[in-house]
Amino acid sequence: MIARRAVTLAVMATTLCAATVPPQAAASTPQVAASTPQVAAPTPQTSATQPDIIVSVEPQPVPAVYVPQDKDERGLWMQMEEEERKLKTSNFVMREAQLNDYVHRVFCKTVGPECASIRIYLMRTAYFNANMAPNGAMQIWSGLFLRTRDEAQLAAVLAHEFAHYKERHSLMLFRQAKAKAASATFLAMFGLVGALFALGEISALFRFSREMEARADALSVEMIAKAGYDPMAASRIWEQIGAEADATAAARNTKSRKDKNGGMFASHPPTTERLATLKALAASIKPMGTPRLNRDEYRAALAPMWASLIDDQVKLNDFGATEYLIGFLAVDGWTPSLNYARGELYRARGRPEDLTAAAGFYRQATQGADAPVEAWRGLGLSLLRTGAQAEGQAALKDYLSRRPDASDKTMIAMLAGV
Amino acid sequence: MNHFKKLALGVAAIGLVTAPAIAGYKLMPAGVPVAVAKSGLTITPSIDWNRLGSRPGRNAESWTLDGLTLNDVTFYGGIPNNTTLFKDAKKKTEPLPRFSSTMLIPDIAQLFESSYRVSVGTSLMSIDAVKPATFAGSPGFHFSYSFVVQGEEVRRKGEATGAVIGGNLYMITYEAPVIHYYDASIELFHKLAETAVIRPVKK
Repeated sequence: MIARRAVTLAVMATTLCAATVPPQAAASTPQVAASTPQVAAPTPQTSATQPDIIVSVEPQPVPAVYVPQDKDERGLWMQMEEEERKLKTSNFVMREAQLNDYVHRVFCKTVGPECASIRIYLMRTAYFNANMAPNGAMQIWSGLFLRTRDEAQLAAVLAHEFAHYKERHSLMLFRQAKAKAASATFLAMFGLVGALFALGEISALFRFSREMEARADALSVEMIAKAGYDPMAASRIWEQIGAEADATAAARNTKSRKDKNGGMFASHPPTTERLATLKALAASIKPMGTPRLNRDEYRAALAPMWASLIDDQVKLNDFGATEYLIGFLAVDGWTPSLNYARGELYRARGRPEDLTAAAGFYRQATQGADAPVEAWRGLGLSLLRTGAQAEGQAALKDYLSRRPDASDKTMIAMLAGV
Repeated sequence: MNHFKKLALGVAAIGLVTAPAIAGYKLMPAGVPVAVAKSGLTITPSIDWNRLGSRPGRNAESWTLDGLTLNDVTFYGGIPNNTTLFKDAKKKTEPLPRFSSTMLIPDIAQLFESSYRVSVGTSLMSIDAVKPATFAGSPGFHFSYSFVVQGEEVRRKGEATGAVIGGNLYMITYEAPVIHYYDASIELFHKLAETAVIRPVKK
């Protein structure tokens, strides 16, 4: 097996963020920003499904909206540009044109014309995270899309990262580190940024101060309100993240880490505290017109990706969080896809009572016109494991007739007794 | 730095001073049957292989020809019920899924996929085809897979073959980079896997 070494490597990578673009600099070259908005997105493909792992893209020129000001900043930018060059050809970049366009549109709606100089990379990584390099390269991890449930929440995350960038927070950190003669370490950390990553602990290596996070939160609430989104959206994300951490802990019979100063959000104020501050901020701001959430638009943009997003989550072996997320997505009603995902989750845990429950969820998933074909497969496999041989084999036969070109056709046929 | 490099450097450094018995690679000579993964799973290599000193798990062991990152054969020797495939290094925060004796073959493929996804932190892992096969004389399975480790970007392909015998999972996997190495050694792996027999373990 491939050893865990890669994680160790990767763990050192992420949690960049921050810095640059004073408004006057951006304003001095407005024609660039206005004329090249299409340059900002990472060359999407037209395919609606996840590409077959590798796709190489021609590096795109970065519009010179802002030029680094001094030696420190130029050094940071050089590092980041090299890392971004690698990032552009990463296997993990999601190149679906529709989703890339949508995210960029929401970003531009939220932060205004300066959006043109920012490159957003959607990364297929099943965790909740977003970050931004000092040169204007933003990463959004796919796990985030399962956790933001409307356009307003997505806008809040994008605005938060942009705020770090605009306030040049990473440059400040870089200077602090330099003052402590630790710049080599700092740059070495940045050197791995292109490798994306961060299963949590990384933020401990490079953390914005609480003041910086609070400032980014404040700016993001202002930005989304100004863009016409519900300013409460940001606080709702943290409500959900807190509840998810509780759910993980409950299923694993451990203590929730939501208010620990460690783990994925080590650099951020504890969730409960942050939630209260964000709510107070939102309450103090008067949104423009009727505050929007744009949930339908958000769902429509994600629809083609949804099956792979939930599949990535189910395979994380985090029963509590996944059960919470599925339930939370089903708040407006259970769809066949949600029932199927729940069946997959229970079947993966595989206790005897889980398998019975899974069969029930799959059965519900098979009802209705838009039932996922794999629901019959899941139903058959769950039933076979509960001892319902004939019924299980019938479901598997049903699956094979609906999916005659299945990649596990011969195996399923054997189990179905065909 | 990967595991292999670390070990290689360790061997070089210590070798200068003294020559103690340390974890490193051990030659698995051609034609000599050898029990692997602390189990009755016995293999007879057709050419010389190298066994990695450190084990990926209590019931697992890895062999290579050119280094683990270039070709990696891992033996899983009778994984018992309610056990992980390999070492559950982050048990508290990212626990690995566990094998169950009641699992069907598609469940085992999914267990393998999920174990890899959690262990190396990747969403780019897929089981490409699953089919019935004979393993060490017992009815078993064969599946192929592909993956990319996050932060590394090398595309790898793999094959797994195995069976559940007496409620325990026996399995052999081979994986290597898609570019050159996978095809270069796949036949050698097939030859190796074909020699698998399960012998009674001496207590």
